[in-house]
Amino acid sequence: MNQLIQSLVDAISAGATLGLAALAIGLVFGVIRLANFAQGEIITASAYSIIFTWQLGWYVAIPIAILIGVILSLLMEVGVFSRMRMATPATLLVASFGLSFLLQRVYELFFGNNVRTAPVAPELAQSLEIGGIRVQLLSVATIIIAAVILVALVQFLNRSIWGLQLQAAAADFRIARLVGIPASRVIGLSFALSGILAAAVAFVSTVKTGAVGPPFGVPIVILALIGAVIGGIDKIYGALAGGFLVGFATSMLASWLPSDMSNFRDAYVFLLVIIVLIFRPSGLLVRGGTVRT
Amino acid sequence: MKERSLLWRLGPLWSLVVLLVIVYAVTVVTSYLGDSVQVQFQYALVNLVIVVALYMFIGTSGVLSFGHVAFVALGAWTVGLLTIEPELKRNLLSDMFPVLFDIQAPWFLAIFIGGLVGGLLALIVAPVLMRLNGLQAGIATFALLLVVGQVLTYWSSIGPRSGQSMVGIPDVLDLQTTMFFALGAIVVAWLFQRSRPARLLRAAREDGIAAAASGINVVTQRVIALALSGLIAGIAGGLFALTNRVVQASLLGIELTFITLAMLVLGGMLSLSGAVIGGLVFSLIDLVLVRLQNGVELGSYVVSIPQGTRPIILGAILVLMLIFRPSGLTGGREIVWPFRRTPPLPGVPPTNE
Repeated sequence: MNQLIQSLVDAISAGATLGLAALAIGLVFGVIRLANFAQGEIITASAYSIIFTWQLGWYVAIPIAILIGVILSLLMEVGVFSRMRMATPATLLVASFGLSFLLQRVYELFFGNNVRTAPVAPELAQSLEIGGIRVQLLSVATIIIAAVILVALVQFLNRSIWGLQLQAAAADFRIARLVGIPASRVIGLSFALSGILAAAVAFVSTVKTGAVGPPFGVPIVILALIGAVIGGIDKIYGALAGGFLVGFATSMLASWLPSDMSNFRDAYVFLLVIIVLIFRPSGLLVRGGTVRT
Repeated sequence: MKERSLLWRLGPLWSLVVLLVIVYAVTVVTSYLGDSVQVQFQYALVNLVIVVALYMFIGTSGVLSFGHVAFVALGAWTVGLLTIEPELKRNLLSDMFPVLFDIQAPWFLAIFIGGLVGGLLALIVAPVLMRLNGLQAGIATFALLLVVGQVLTYWSSIGPRSGQSMVGIPDVLDLQTTMFFALGAIVVAWLFQRSRPARLLRAAREDGIAAAASGINVVTQRVIALALSGLIAGIAGGLFALTNRVVQASLLGIELTFITLAMLVLGGMLSLSGAVIGGLVFSLIDLVLVRLQNGVELGSYVVSIPQGTRPIILGAILVLMLIFRPSGLTGGREIVWPFRRTPPLPGVPPTNE
């Protein structure tokens, strides 16, 4: 029982992390049809900044990480993706794949191949005992952080004019422009939000590992991207739910598969993904239709 | 009139001959440039075969595939298992199924068996994956790449324990033989692109709904294309195993996928000329960059670029190409007979006859 609850809490926190990462991908995809593989490198950049600035205090490190995430995200849009508006989603995916490779090599050049380490928020790395059940404090904290961010984001999307414009653009970009929603602002906004989400993912991931290397963001973005697609990358909440599902499933498989099979846990998840894509190509949570391309 | 129709028949053949001559010439030139260049160019030829395989599928069907390196990996694995001495296998790969210890094949045959294994995997997954389009196809084939990578990394019954590599692959493949394999792959791709399935696929690529309405079963044609290109990719994997002589799943993953896709994009993914020229140009730039990283003497100056800038430049080439010339160096065209007034598209007869 104890073990079940513990693994459930861990799985929910893993799901929450990937849900945020997938949400970042879904936000951008909704607006410009870009499934941004290089989102992982935004996470890596924020993670590096957290590792380097943590000694200055969290109130310095976290704003800087958010700033770096937002700036890099906007730079990608201005430097690369804004010049590819006519490209198909598949071509955009290849471009972001290339950008991801490029940025990883840049990180290698500047920070070396070895991981950089720093104890980030060590006070979160202990267990918590609630009513005789031990759970990781970090898992609880991750769930709380994700919940706070989600509530704030939903409020922003539903209550502010910019948020509503973003939702309109995600629903149908062309119609949104026809009714006078400024395209560049909405696109910039989606990239900025995905940068903030990247910083949040970077924070919880660096607390967990305490070490960052050039490929830090790659495994996160692979699972998040896959989650976004099976949840329905076309819908913001579909992406979120898909990311959560993949994170949850990966973590549960890691806890409960016998040890000689747990090496293959990602393989099971990927097989599951292929199966989902075949039966529901536009996403689990999207009713009918195909993804607009 | 007669002369023109003869030219029309020979035109596509001309594009094949030019490509074969280019590959042959570049190989001959590099073979005079010292051992290290030769070794590096052998890798380039292996990559070229992968790019040709990618073209056969992506170029004709217009469906994105991140999964071809999975077929390459299986080909490499097969050749590794078939060519390493039984004694060595017993010692180094002791967890394997016992039956794998004793099966052996001559390396030349092993390459083709590797191709068959790659093609077989493609044939098995194709009926399922080929129903997807665009982004979904990209993600599903990517998932295939990751599944195969994980299985090869961790399943010690068919290979080394995780984190270890297959060593002891014989040193038998030289530059010239590799070149003949590359030329063979180009011929096969050329024959394929003239074939009925490839024509139907190109039609479906341009307009899927119209093609389906004309009675083309797009999925069937795609299965044929994927299986054939999986076969070529498997052969490329065998060539990789014999060139590198160390096989490890991590060498046959995302990075190789990136590099070969970048080559295809650089040349232009809609033509065989694009695939071949993209592969060669990318590799030649890479050759130059390796020289530059080690320092080149120009008169009294030593020109060099910092270590680690090479992959950055290669990545930047891909991204810049996609921004400024998304159709690639060749613009998706084949090399045509230069002395003709109106070069037709491949397979399209001139209209003014």
